Order: sequence, then structure tokens, then C-alpha cells
Amino acid sequence: MDRIRARLRAILRPPGDPNLNRVQRRRAIISALTRRLHLIKFILFLVGYLWMAAIPSPRLGRGTYIDENALQPGQVNTYWNWGDVANADRYLGQLEGLRDANSTSEQRAKILMNEFIKLGMSASTQGYVFTSSTGKVKGTNAYAVLSSPRTSGTEAMVISASWISRAGEGDGTLNLRGIATVLTLANFLKSYSLWAKDIIFVVSDNYVDGMQAWLNAYHGSTQSNLQADDLELTSGVIWTALNIDYPGHSFSHLGIFHEGINGRLPNQDLLNSFHHISKWTGGVPVLVYDHLEPQNDLPSWIPSAYHEEIRGYSYRSKNVLRHIGYQARGRGSGVHGLFHQFRIDAFTMFGVPAAGPHGFHAIGRIIESTLRTTNNLLERLHASFFFYILTAPERFLKIGSFLPSAVLISVAMMFGGLRVWSDSAWILDIFVHPEKTEADTGPTSNKWIQRSRPVIPVLGIVLSTHILGGVLFSVLTTSWFSNNQTVASVVLFLAVFVTQLSALLAPSQDEKTTAPASQLLKALNLCFASTVISITTVVNFSLAMSLAILLGIPLSISSPSRSLPLRLGSFALYSGLGLGWIFAREELQKAIWDWEILGVWFAPFVCVVYLPLVLQAGLVCLLPV
Amino acid sequence: MALHWKSCFILSLCFPLLAFSRSSSSETFDEELTVRAMRDGKVASRFSFSTLLEGATPRNPQNLSTEDDSTAQHYTLFPLTLGQILREYAVTELHLTLNAGKWDYERWGYPDEPDVGTGAELWAWMGEGGSTTVDARWRGLRNALAGLFCASLGSLDELRTTSPALAFAPQGGLPDWEHPHAVRHASLPSEHVCTENLTPFLKLLPCKARAGIARLLNPHRLFDADWHGMGLHVVWLPDAGVQVRLTFQSVADPLRPASHRRDWSFASIFDRTIDTTCPSATTSRVVVSLPVNDAYSLSPQPASLEADRAVFDLAQHTEDLPLDVSMRWDVPFLHAAGASEAPLSIRRTLLGPTQDYGTLAVSITNAGPAAVRAAYLETMPWIVTFYLHTLVLRVDGELRPDLLESLTYTPPVPHARATTLEAVLLLPPRSTLSLRVGVTKAFLRYTEHPPDAQRGWDLPPAVLVPLASLPALNSSHSSPSHSNAHNAHDAPPTHAQRIYTPALLVDLATPDFSMPYNVIIFSCSVVAFIFGSVFNLLSRRFVVLEVGEK
Repeated sequence: MDRIRARLRAILRPPGDPNLNRVQRRRAIISALTRRLHLIKFILFLVGYLWMAAIPSPRLGRGTYIDENALQPGQVNTYWNWGDVANADRYLGQLEGLRDANSTSEQRAKILMNEFIKLGMSASTQGYVFTSSTGKVKGTNAYAVLSSPRTSGTEAMVISASWISRAGEGDGTLNLRGIATVLTLANFLKSYSLWAKDIIFVVSDNYVDGMQAWLNAYHGSTQSNLQADDLELTSGVIWTALNIDYPGHSFSHLGIFHEGINGRLPNQDLLNSFHHISKWTGGVPVLVYDHLEPQNDLPSWIPSAYHEEIRGYSYRSKNVLRHIGYQARGRGSGVHGLFHQFRIDAFTMFGVPAAGPHGFHAIGRIIESTLRTTNNLLERLHASFFFYILTAPERFLKIGSFLPSAVLISVAMMFGGLRVWSDSAWILDIFVHPEKTEADTGPTSNKWIQRSRPVIPVLGIVLSTHILGGVLFSVLTTSWFSNNQTVASVVLFLAVFVTQLSALLAPSQDEKTTAPASQLLKALNLCFASTVISITTVVNFSLAMSLAILLGIPLSISSPSRSLPLRLGSFALYSGLGLGWIFAREELQKAIWDWEILGVWFAPFVCVVYLPLVLQAGLVCLLPV
Repeated sequence: MALHWKSCFILSLCFPLLAFSRSSSSETFDEELTVRAMRDGKVASRFSFSTLLEGATPRNPQNLSTEDDSTAQHYTLFPLTLGQILREYAVTELHLTLNAGKWDYERWGYPDEPDVGTGAELWAWMGEGGSTTVDARWRGLRNALAGLFCASLGSLDELRTTSPALAFAPQGGLPDWEHPHAVRHASLPSEHVCTENLTPFLKLLPCKARAGIARLLNPHRLFDADWHGMGLHVVWLPDAGVQVRLTFQSVADPLRPASHRRDWSFASIFDRTIDTTCPSATTSRVVVSLPVNDAYSLSPQPASLEADRAVFDLAQHTEDLPLDVSMRWDVPFLHAAGASEAPLSIRRTLLGPTQDYGTLAVSITNAGPAAVRAAYLETMPWIVTFYLHTLVLRVDGELRPDLLESLTYTPPVPHARATTLEAVLLLPPRSTLSLRVGVTKAFLRYTEHPPDAQRGWDLPPAVLVPLASLPALNSSHSSPSHSNAHNAHDAPPTHAQRIYTPALLVDLATPDFSMPYNVIIFSCSVVAFIFGSVFNLLSRRFVVLEVGEK
């Protein structure tokens, strides 16, 4: 026993000075790590990108489940019947009359308000005007409050439909059936005394701007470019909202659209409950977005054992890409996206247009049951079910199974940046000393000498690129830009390009005493980009992932060169990477509109954070060695 | 019951001393049901059961240390359990209401019983002096009532107790003792009122729910109503005695089962009829307000008609029994928007999406032709604190600081005392006054969060009291409202009365008590720790320094 103990002690505490041992051990680890840093970086990049590619894999992720016990989805009998369907058809006929009569927003809202009043509810309208660089956006919302029996009116649920459907991202298809459903629901829901929360019915004008005006007024937030009437009717704190989008004649599936603006997501329990109810109560299959599961045949040379896997992967990757497209751009996937900023869990149920077989009967029952479920809530949905990627209606990825991919890339960039930073302090002096002061140094002295690293000028360069980004953004939001976009994009691109060329004039410094600015800039650039990516992962994973893909490799391989054409060429490439989006006319207009009307941070983020980071990498190439 | 009466009479004859000690031992019990159909087709009914202990006076707190008058608690009709509580804590005036729902003043007008604040509300006037303080007796009172009514009145603790003397002036008289009286008020908006509160309520009635109009108190239907509330009011009427009044109000909706007819009957709204009378009741009346402009039919024929009200007297006309009053309109009902039924209406919202700061926005509309002076009262728990300097009054967007006549403010003490803000406002005719004040929301200790932390905190309703109708505050000797209280049966007070706003829910900064979030935090810490170590390894240099021996 003693012998074992002694041997253990010998292993754990080797003889000698323990401090010395520790320092030596640490040095050994450091040198092993630093020698293999390139390998570590490479592995981190590889694992990170492979992980990202694996996100849609059917093998990753798990099945959805309900976390909040209070929800109890699908546990009730539904009473929505064919009489209500007939009501909905009647309302639809009325709405089609309004459409055919080309009635104005105010007329429409007035008529909707009167319909609500006829049902015995308090109803009102709200007019609003948004001023943006592209002009004014006007509209009128109609809304009604059903004060539920015996409730104090401190909590509320919202059922909403916008005048314009999200079909084709709001290309003008009207959401008449969605609005008819809301009106019929108002008539139907008031016949029950079991509601524990007030129910607010909102028919918002246009696509998203109507709801933005309504929500702002409801919560008393001010927006400088919005002039909206105060709401005459209010209710309590809104916890959940369902947005109904039913553009077609009938639908085959109900699609879930859940992304909110600025990358916010609703609590997943709400989506899972809806999915459960739709499947078991309504008998309607649920999709993520409007993506039908592909059934097409794969080429015959692929072994049939892999068909299922490949089909699943391609279907899920389509969903994930759509998700990233919405979330990274901070653009909500529908009207529901505006609710999340006020801590309201909301999603859009989208009736995927088809020849059949479902219609008002199915959607009414599903909404009724979903409302009963959200009605059960005693407190806000709060379990940390806010970080997820829905790869398929019944599969999702938890935060732990996707977050590390972007973090790994960011760690690799951080390591790279720190390596460049510590390398820049040293230079290998291969100068042969004419006089030998010490005999044992050999014929040539391969000596590492330390040099200074002037950070302030480099920080100045970094700051100037961010200021340039800010200036660019303020120009983008002027009406001059929106009026002459084609010319202005070219002018702005050239302006940014030319201002950066002034870096060519930077004086070259003695390499032996001071580290070159390009090296320091690269170190700072990598460290800053890495920090931005890792912080963004928690706030908006899709954006962080896009940044990791766009910045990871390009920023790591930027390097100065001695040939001027090469320098100019690589700078032009980086400028293209950083500013190429300025020529994407539609996309840019949309991003600026989103910023001005809805307060989506994507456009300023790209101008003030993304573009400067890429420009800095370009400057690393451009600066003299 | 008649036997009971007789035995009581004999008892009082046998012990003349007992009868003498109370100046008059007689107790009278009156009951009344008023029913009125409202503009939006709903039907409001109010039950009022009033017991008068003639000649009795409230207990003087000075005498609390001595044995109570042995005859003071010999009751026949007066509820004994309640009487014991009143004597034990020397309560002069007491009002307890347990309501569910928010009263819609705009559609339903003023309620017959003015105390319609959401949830539980308790206020009492008690004499000062004596061996125990008012606060100690107040604590005992609310705990005793909590036990009596099976309600969580025990939660009406110091954090919710205020003393708003202006808005809650005494409705009866206050005896002229050497020490003044003090008011204590507390409300609990999150109290859920249900059948477990009704059962003890019915036990206080002489005939329980077995006879008289109390037959109609059918919990299955009452608690399915759009609004319901029960109340207990004890007042001292100087020239009559101590009156205890038990009230039950409900708002039923005949239109709810998707019908277009607003017809109602006792059978349809209570699922019962009055089949026996309560022999203890001196008067027992059913009063039905008649529609003014519509064609209708009322059955059975009422015993008497007073202006626009039909009166059925159960005690006099037993031939009507079982009584099932029903009213039918000739035409189906159509909903229509209309002007507000109440000349004063008030809306209150808490704006601001953040968890640390918000704005309390109140808009008070005076639809009447004359300016009204009114007291606006906020009794907030300490978790919401007002920034008084941000208080602004606007009419049509214009600043009107002159409309604020006076302001009384008791600042909150964190974790200890509630805020009281009492503002006397001048409401210009036919305009809407908007009052806005910034509030800061408290950051709670984590042990102070309730089990359903993510729900938020209920804030009590605010109260608006038009001051013209208020009895003067220094009227503790005489009782100008005495005649009011006396006539309460004859006419519901139509003049201005207390108006309650709906309750509010405030979101405070709440930690996520759920498990996954803790996992995230924990793994973040691990990652940060690993990163720190790696960063150290990369950026630091460890060398062995040989330190010389000397």
C-alpha cells in the first residue's frame, strides 16, 4: 500500500523544485502549442466549417417536445363548426367586395371596425404615416378588444392578419381569407366564457408597417419618423400573438414562419404546440416555411441506401438556408416578427396555397385549440427555448449543437490574431557581425531582436475605416441615394476605394525598430473580427455564422506584398467582398427600408462593422511593407 | 323561523336586564334584488342583504383592555362570526369586496355598489388610542377576515396597506371619541374569487341560500357571469345602529350563446327561481329597471310601478311564488356603438417595453357639460416608484399644469411600504385629460419573486373620486352621508361615485429560474476559463530566474 502511494507521489510530485518543474512543464506545453499553432488553427477552421455543413444533417438534432407543462396542447374539444365556416365565407364575400371597389385604407378600416362593433366588441381604428427616404407610407389599422369574462384584463392574446399576405414576401397578394378568419373568430370566441385573457383582434394595413405602427402605439414607444394615432382601446400585457396568413383559395399544409426582426425567435414551445395541434386536432400537416418535403428521385448511380439521407439533408439544408436568410439579415419572415421586440411570442401560420383539401374549417379549429393552449399559460413562456434551429417541422437543433461551430472559427481567428501580434514584436536578425564580441556565438548571429509595436496609428486606421462605414451608411439613407441609386452606388464604391488608396502614401518604416503597420493591423483586425463573431453567436447565430464564413478565411490570409499590382489587386478583391452588396439594388433598398421603418440593425451593422473589417484586411494588403 | 322569532322575544322578556343593556335589542333584516338590462345587452343584478343592529355602537378601542360588554354579542340575525371580529378589533366601519372582472363603465354605467375594483379590496375606519395600535388591529382584522371568507386577505400586508383618507371617506358616522379615527386600505388585484368565498358569504345570511332572494345565488351561474363581486359593508349609522350589508353583484350575458335576443329571466340567468320567502326578512323586494325606449313585456305583472322601475314585493305578495321574473323584447338585439354611459371615464396603461423604466399613462374623460373636481388615487406597491418631476398634465396635447390643484404623496419605502399618490384634479368639461408620470421598476431580491415569477406583478386599480359628492372629511361627529346610506335600498346612488380603473400587470427584471439557462451560463463560464488559460499561455512568457544566494 505504501509502495503504491510512494509511486503515485513520484508521478504526481516529481523530485526537485516544484516551482521550477511547473514552469518547465508550462514552457514545454507552450512551445508544443505554438509550434503547432498553424495545425491547431487549421483543425479549428476545418472542424468549424464541417460542423456548419453538418447542421442540416438528419443525424444531428433531436425531435421536438413541449417543455412548458401548462400548455397542454390538443387536450380540448373544439367547437368551431360549419356554421362558422359559412360566416367566414360571408365575411370573405364582403372583403372581396371591398377589394373590387378599390376602397381606401380608411374606408376598409372603418368597415372592419363596424363589423367588430356589430359583434358587440369595442373596436377602433388607427391611422399612421411613416416617413422614410423613399417616401411616405400611409395606412389605417382596425382592431378590437374582446374583454374576457371575469378577467382583470391584465393579460392579452393577439390574433392578427395583415391586409397584404406574406406570399412572395409581401408582393401584393391580399390576405382576404386571413382577415375573414379573424372576423369569424371574433364572432366565435365571444360565445365562450372560458378565456382567461383578453383577446385582441388586429387587422393591420399593408404588410408589416401597419403592425409596426400599432405595436409602437400599444407599447408607447416613439419612433421619430412615425406619426400614428394613439390607441383608443388598450388591454393588458400581450403574451402571445398568432398571425394568420391565408392567401390562397385552399391550403394543403400550414407553414410556420417564426423569425423575428433582429434575429429574435419566439419561444419554441409555441411552435411545437401549434405543430401538435395542427397535426392531431386539425389533421393538417405542418411545414417549416412553405417547403414541401421533396419526393424526387435521385440519380441511379447513388446507392439506394443513401437516398433517404441525401434527401433529408437537402430538404433540411433548404430550411436552414431560408432560416439563415431571414435571421442573418435581421428581417422577420412576416408580420409576427415585429412582436418579438416587445417580448411577445408570435409566429405566422401560413396556409400554403394549394387546390385542397383544407380551408376555413381546419384553420378555425386549429386556431381555436391553439388559443385554448396559450390561454392556459399562467406566466410568460420563459424556459430558455429561444435558441434553436428548426431543421424540419419535428426536428430541431439545440443551442449546444450549433453554437460551437461559429465559436470554433472565431477561436481560430483569435489564435491567428494573437500569433501575428506576438510575432510582430520580434524580427530575426541575420546580420553578420563584423567584430565578434563573444566567441561562442558562431560566424553569423541568428538573433531575435525585439521591436516596438506602435498601436496608436494602427488604431487610427481602424477607427477611420469604421467612421468611413458610418459616413457611407448616412449617405445610403439619404433621399439622394434612393433617387439615383444606380449612379450613386458606383460613385460610393469608387469613393470608398479611392479614399482607402491613400494608404499607399503611408511612409515605410524601419523594420528592425518598429513592427510594420500592416502586421499590427492584421493582428487587431483578426482579434476584433473574432470578438464580433463570438459575441454575435448568442444574439443572432445566423449572422455570426455568415460572418464566420465571409470573414474567417479571407481575413486570415490577408498579407502584405511588395509588388504594387498584387497589392492593388488584392485590395480590389477585398473591396469587392466588403462593398459588393452596394450593387444589389433590391436587397439594399429593402435593408434600408427595414432600418428606417422597422429598426432592423442589419444595414448599419454591415456598414459600420462588416465593411470596415473587410476594408482593414484590404488595407493589410495595401499598406507598404 | 317564526318560532325562532318568538323564542327570541320570550328570551328578551325573561331577561329584561339583557334587553336594557342594549338600548334596543331589535334587529331588522331587509333584502333586495335589483335587475337592470344594460346598453350592450348584458344584465346587471345586485343582491343586497342588510341587517341593522338597532341602537348598537362600535366598540371604543379604549375599552379593548377590559372585558367586552357581555350583551354586545347577543345576536339573532346579525352574523355572530362577523360581530365577534368587529368587537375584537374595535372596527367602526369596514368594507370588504371580492370582485372578478373589470367593470366596464362606458357600457354598463356606474354600478349599484360602487366598490368594483378587481380582486380583493379591504378598507376600514378604526378609532385610535387604546392598548393596541390601529396597525396591530388592522393586521388582526385582515387575518380574521381571511379566515372567515377563505380569501388570501392575509397578503394585504404592510407592503400593500395605505391610508387614503380623501378617496375612502367614511360612509357612515364615526363616534366622537377622544382620539380620532384612522383609515386603512389595501387591495390585492390578483385575488381570484370563486365559490369557496361564496359559501362563507351565504353562511352570514339568516336564511342562507334556502329562502328569499338568496335562493338565486347559484354558484354555477354566478361564477360563469361576465362580472361578479361580493361585498361586505359595515357602517355605523348614529341614529340607527350598526348596519351590516352583504351585497352580491353580477353581470350576466344573455347574448353569449350566440343568440340575438337579450331576453332574460331568473331561470335563464340564475337557473333558479324564488320559491320561498325568508321569514326573517322585514322587506324583501325585487326591483326591475324598465327599458325606456324599447318595446318589451315583463312577466309576471309587478305589484307596483315606480317611475321606470317595477317592484315585486315578496313579503307582501306571496301569491306570486315561485317568482320567475322574465323580460322579453319584441325585436332582436343589434349591437351598436354609443356614447359612454358614465360621464366620467378613465383609462390607465403602463407603457414602455423595458423592465427598468416605464410611463404610467392615465387619460380621464369628462363627457359632462361642467368641470369636475376629482381626486385621483394611486396606491402602488413599492416595486413601482413614481418620478414625480415627470408628472405632466395635458389636454389636447397642450400642457395644463394648472389643472393639478393639489398633490399628496407618500413615497414608498423599499421592501416595507407602499406609495400613496393622491392628486386633486380639475377636469375641464367635454375633454380628455391626459396624465403621464414616469415610473421606475424595482430590481427585486431573488427571494422576493413569487413562484410564477415570469407572470409579472399585479398593480392595484387606481381610483377616481369626484369630490363634489364627497362628505367633508372632518365630519366624524355628524354623518352627512347618513341619509344616503339609509336610502341605499330605494335608489342606487346616481350621482358621481368612486370609479376604479382596471388593474395593471408590470414586468420586472426577472432572472430566468429555468434549468437550461443555468446550463448555458455554466458552460459559458467553462469556455471563458479555458479561453483565459489559453490566452495566458499564448501571451505570457514564463522564465526561470536564478536568484542569487545573497
